[in-house]
Amino acid sequence: MFASKRLAKELQKLHDKLPPGITLVKADDLQEWIMDIRVVDNNPIYVGEVYRLKFTFSQSYPIEAPEVVFVRDETHPIPWHPHIYSNGIICLDLLDRQGWSPVHNVESVCVSLQSMLTSNTKKERPEGDDNFVRNNRLRPRDINFIFHDNQV
Amino acid sequence: MATPAPIEVPPPNDRRGSRASQTSVHTQDEISPVGGPPTSPSPLQIRASRESSRKQSATKQPPDLSLLQYVSKPDSNLMCLICHCPFSDPLQLECEHIFCGDCLHTWEAQQAQQAQQRNRELADRKCPTCRTKYTGTRAVPKIIASMLDELVVNCPHTRAGCKWVDQRSNVKDHVMLYCEYTPVACSSFDCRHHIAQKDYHKGCLHYTVSCEQCHTSMMKKDLEVCVTDHQRTACAGRSTNCPHCSCELLRLDLKAHIKDVCGKVVVPCQGAIVGCAFSAERAEVVTHEKGCPMATMAPHFRDQQARIERNEARLEPLSRKVGILEDGLSNITNMLYPANANDSSYPVTNPLDPNTSEPFPPASLVPTPDFRLPPASFPPVPPNDTSQTPFQNPSQPPFDSQVHHLLTLHDSLREEVSRIANALTECEGRTNMMVINESQRVKDEMLHTNAAINGMRMQLHWLMSATLHQRTSSSASSSTGRAAASTSASGSGSAPTQGASRSGTGGTYHAPLRRLSDSTRQDTKL
Repeated sequence: MFASKRLAKELQKLHDKLPPGITLVKADDLQEWIMDIRVVDNNPIYVGEVYRLKFTFSQSYPIEAPEVVFVRDETHPIPWHPHIYSNGIICLDLLDRQGWSPVHNVESVCVSLQSMLTSNTKKERPEGDDNFVRNNRLRPRDINFIFHDNQV
Repeated sequence: MATPAPIEVPPPNDRRGSRASQTSVHTQDEISPVGGPPTSPSPLQIRASRESSRKQSATKQPPDLSLLQYVSKPDSNLMCLICHCPFSDPLQLECEHIFCGDCLHTWEAQQAQQAQQRNRELADRKCPTCRTKYTGTRAVPKIIASMLDELVVNCPHTRAGCKWVDQRSNVKDHVMLYCEYTPVACSSFDCRHHIAQKDYHKGCLHYTVSCEQCHTSMMKKDLEVCVTDHQRTACAGRSTNCPHCSCELLRLDLKAHIKDVCGKVVVPCQGAIVGCAFSAERAEVVTHEKGCPMATMAPHFRDQQARIERNEARLEPLSRKVGILEDGLSNITNMLYPANANDSSYPVTNPLDPNTSEPFPPASLVPTPDFRLPPASFPPVPPNDTSQTPFQNPSQPPFDSQVHHLLTLHDSLREEVSRIANALTECEGRTNMMVINESQRVKDEMLHTNAAINGMRMQLHWLMSATLHQRTSSSASSSTGRAAASTSASGSGSAPTQGASRSGTGGTYHAPLRRLSDSTRQDTKL
């Protein structure tokens, strides 16, 4: 109830106006949305690529954080970033339950990710990416990340 | 479309019948705890409590402020960042960020729960916006509260048809008290649906019927509430053709169309009320009426007619009033002057001149609603009082109308009657006084006589007791003379012999005089 009301309002706003580089791809229901983002400036790592994000909302959104992952298909790769695993899982305090705040919304999350990519200079995966990708069966929200990097 | 017969599935009456039987079963169930322990509540109480709880659960819900539709887009500064709605019951943190009370509490509860899951004390509460620690909340500044109160909203039941639009601070009162569309529990006892307040008195409308035209099944409630909506927009059989001009239109508007619009219907000229005999299809009549003098005059005639009818209607009660007054007056005159009883012409026989009597209060000239004076209520007038009334019949002042005249007469008569009544009262008082005086005198005489009788009785008693005493003393002296021969018999009887005789006979005659008179007096009193 709470979630659907708020999501309906956000959707209305997203239809209205979006920041540059962010597009709404699919929002058929109030549970799973697909957004596309691209990096606006000329960061050589990301230039010319569009990344696809999947938002999954729980019933208690926005009190609880949405689950946000990059998804890969033919045209949309997973961006290179030291905090983004190759299976699309993002290590960002904002998306963790400790760092989440109900004042965030889909648009602000997209903008945050955008800026995270923009400021990145290293084309690499996180430490132990292979291992994590192979072994992780947890959902992103249940992973306990350790946030160490305050650069992003 | 050939036979659009109304089909009701199932007919409401049958439904009602089955429902009634259900309720009777219910009541039987409720009667069963009669044999319970004395402390258990009576079946009546159980039923009452059930009813109240049911009705309570179905009472009106106060409106949810977060669901309101705002007429204009509210200022973004008044939006709660958590629910993205204008604040409702807002709270301010120490960092001066504001959130809805509910939103903030939900967030705090979630934080606390999370801390508990990790077996950690919730160290600090942090503002969702700026992550500043805060310890408490406070009310928002007045200006924010009044800005929120002044947001203009639609009634939450706008969809149901309410047109109300006002400031948000009034919406609760509107929904709880005034809105006709607020859902309330259905008036039927065993019906659990809700119905708009304005249809509450129509009884239970929650049964299925089908539309007469399109046979769509729908709740009676919906057909009843928005019958026009259905027939205007939804009903498949809503459109029909005019039988005269064969143009297509809504069935709903057909009657009005034939009556006022359709050009092919044969109608008479407007001047028909004045005598124009022209009658043709409406289109022709319109052209005819342009040249018809009678049609031009018709509105004026209609106005006149209406005015005449109004006046006649006003005249009717007046004439009735006059009739009643005439009746009353004739009765009064008949009573006052039995000689003139057969004469019915008032102005001639009128014995009263209003000029000679005291001036009336002006209000008495106005016809009062209680002018109806039934003749039977007049007291018979004693003949000596008629002498006081002015008998002369001098020149009458010219009266404006007969009604006025009659009213004047009526008033003077009323004055007269009241004077007579006064005289009667006075007379009665005098008679009463006389009677009282007379009876007083008689009473005094009676007292005197009584006193004399009493005196005589006293004397009689004294004499009788004296005689008795003499007799007993003589007999006693004879017996003592016999017993004690030594004592010579003496008629006067000495004190010792008296004492002996008293002890001997048991004191039957001691203190005779006093006691006897006492007892007799008591007897007379009784």
